[in-house]
Amino acid sequence: MEMGGFFGCYDRIDLSSGTTERIPIPEAILQRYLGGVGLGSWLLSVESPPGCDPLAAEAALVFAFSPLVGTPLTTSAKLAVVGKSPLTGYLSDGLSGSDFAIAGKRRGVDALVFVGTCPQPSEWIHGQVRATQCWGLSAAATEARLGAEGRVAAIGIAGENLVRFASISNGGRHAGRGGLGAVMGSKRLKAVVVGGTRRTPLSEPGRVGALARHLSQQSLGDATARYRELGTISNLATFNRMATLPTRNFRQSRFEGADSLSPEKLSSQRTKTRTACANCTIGCEHRYSHSGNSSTRIEYESLFALGPLCGIGDPEAVLAAARRCDELGLDTISAGATVAFAMECQERGLLEDADAPRTGRAEDLMKCLAAMGERRGIGDSLAEGSLRLALKIGQDSLDFAPQVKGLEMAGYEPRALQAMALGFAVSTRGADHNRSSAYEVDFSGKANRLHGDARTAHFAVTTEERAAVMDSLILCKFLRGVFVDFYAEAAQLLSAVTGWSVDAADLESVGHRIVNLRKAFNIREGWKPTDDTLPERFFREALDEGPSAGAQLSRRQLGEMIRSYNRARGWSPDGFLDEATQSEIARDLALGREARA
Amino acid sequence: MSRAGIVLCGGRSSRMGRSKAWLPWRGVPLLRFVVDQLAELVDEMLVVAAPNVDLPPVPARRVDDREPGLGPLAGIREGLASMESDSAYLTGTDSPWLSRELVEKMFRVGGAVAPVFDGHVQTLAAVYPKRGGSIATRLLLEGRRRPLDLLETLDYRRLEQADLPESFRSSTLNTPGEYLGAVLNDDPSATATLEFLGRARLLLGKRELEVPIGTLSELLKHTEPTLELLHEGTLKREFRVTLDGHDFVRNASTPIGPGERVVVIDASVGG
Repeated sequence: MEMGGFFGCYDRIDLSSGTTERIPIPEAILQRYLGGVGLGSWLLSVESPPGCDPLAAEAALVFAFSPLVGTPLTTSAKLAVVGKSPLTGYLSDGLSGSDFAIAGKRRGVDALVFVGTCPQPSEWIHGQVRATQCWGLSAAATEARLGAEGRVAAIGIAGENLVRFASISNGGRHAGRGGLGAVMGSKRLKAVVVGGTRRTPLSEPGRVGALARHLSQQSLGDATARYRELGTISNLATFNRMATLPTRNFRQSRFEGADSLSPEKLSSQRTKTRTACANCTIGCEHRYSHSGNSSTRIEYESLFALGPLCGIGDPEAVLAAARRCDELGLDTISAGATVAFAMECQERGLLEDADAPRTGRAEDLMKCLAAMGERRGIGDSLAEGSLRLALKIGQDSLDFAPQVKGLEMAGYEPRALQAMALGFAVSTRGADHNRSSAYEVDFSGKANRLHGDARTAHFAVTTEERAAVMDSLILCKFLRGVFVDFYAEAAQLLSAVTGWSVDAADLESVGHRIVNLRKAFNIREGWKPTDDTLPERFFREALDEGPSAGAQLSRRQLGEMIRSYNRARGWSPDGFLDEATQSEIARDLALGREARA
Repeated sequence: MSRAGIVLCGGRSSRMGRSKAWLPWRGVPLLRFVVDQLAELVDEMLVVAAPNVDLPPVPARRVDDREPGLGPLAGIREGLASMESDSAYLTGTDSPWLSRELVEKMFRVGGAVAPVFDGHVQTLAAVYPKRGGSIATRLLLEGRRRPLDLLETLDYRRLEQADLPESFRSSTLNTPGEYLGAVLNDDPSATATLEFLGRARLLLGKRELEVPIGTLSELLKHTEPTLELLHEGTLKREFRVTLDGHDFVRNASTPIGPGERVVVIDASVGG
């Protein structure tokens, strides 16, 4: 039976020469890594020369689709952008959901891989490199200008200026983390425009249709109602109540202005509209009006990073800052966290610059965002991210720079959410919440969130592997609550689409394998066990507020959790892969090189 | 002769469904209440608990039970071996009805002393001499885990029921029913507070609700029919419940005590 779900090939585009090569992907690889972050990680490992500078011409930038893109399955219109991060020097990826994924796959490929550098600022449009007239425009303006020619993924000026946490936008959604927008900018590639006529092949169209109807029905139920009715920003009040809300650069875990940033307050003072990603029945996107007639989409991570983390409680200011980040093409978490860090440095007298931002000052935040995007004045240092800024400032500022491996921390207080502390420490991307999903453990009640131990590590492995499968199929994580037995149900979806005989155990193995592959990439790029840690602040300062009062971490305790995690993964206690796993990965990568040859 | 008080916090509180040490009792956590009562009668106070067990702050020295899987005798050994006093009155965290008269009487008798009630030797309301620590170690090595083995080896004195003061109560708080009944006996109008966040607040239209104490399921029924938090007697999958933002409560039969705040949040968090 012919394989459904995939086209079994990718386009390798050399931007320097303008040539495109169609390269087959062995079916065995698709079975072992699926699509999205799994396939993207494999392609990056094949296409990116070991040790290359993330901003060098030879660095690869992968747009990976998935087997479910183009099917009627709800939330499946997503893609993963994968590359080597200019923030961390390790593997990074960003997921976003929009029509771009569907249109890209209609080209008849499972991924696009960009290498080389355009001779001049350009856009890649249906296989051709063309000089762009959009350089200097926002991503949204670029989409508007090129939208008649296809679906567009574009960078803003932050990507053009190689801001190390620049995002890539498509359809108003963003592949934000890790600075892959800067990788695109380094290739002088302003936009990718796609479209096509090929339809995703389905092995059992009738069964896929029935499963899609069922999943859509499920997605309208109670398990996703929170996202529909309130959006992710309702986290803020909950986290504040539980004293797990990072505030003022992780100096506090509660914010006195949290109430003004709640969905109830935001809704009561402004117009709210709700929209959805392409092909999604959940509709989690909540947009709030502000500054006259404009309206901005706001998510928890943006809200926390541009609000409490900077000590700012004015909703008008936070919405304006989120909008500004989108216009410039900045990852909101890294932007907010880097400014919050600079604010603390300013308070401590470590930043002499007259433009150094002051804690709680919305006008300072706005100035910094613009300066970062343009790499102007102090913005040039801020655009490097908190790790490089701390290294430049010195004087122990690294101890309170809110990052792991160079990636700024998402909105979870690690001393009070200790599964998440582990997730931040060991995640391939750096201080990342989504690939590990370890916060689910903290909020499950299965492990003590204030005293992480081996049991915590065991559960963190479980959430990480499930996330790897969801991000490779790709299904939105907001669907996770609708599955009673995720692996078994996901295996049904995959087998109906592809025609493969696949069961729950097979998919569990895929999750495990993808995490191994991503770790192998990082090891190849110089990862060392000491990278898996947290900033010194989290070992030295205990929390002193509310239900998290007294919460603290020690290096020893985190080290024990990491060793438990590594053992549960089958790795050496300090986190290296065993020989059998290395050989398995080497074989998989050799298949890719053979296909290219 | 110097005296110590030792409180064992070793059990898993499986029948109670939550840590007994934290159960509210007359305005403070139960462990605090027990420690405060006993501290007035002794020179030195110790609490014995497994490492990493979260305990309320108490004016007592904490001693780790290094082998909590071996039962109460291991905890008794740790307490006796760690104390500086000559003998100790030993009790559990679930016995708030301390008879001062009895404790004084047992210390006066000297050596190992235990009351007998309804034919049962009350090994967790007894006085043990310090040398009991090393003897307990030997017994554990021999595979003998009953505290009564220790008392017998120490050639203990029995205080028969007829000799016990009227204030003596042998009962302990092991189940939600026992706990809630005892609290309501003290204060029939005791209440707890339900606090709502996220979708629960949206659906109910209230931030909080004061309700009579009871099990978690009894409390959550007060939001019906506007907000259905239970399905077939258990908490629905899309909600989570914490005690004042601290411990998560998963079992609907968990007792909620006076003054406690039950916070209802969404199960799906994260972004």
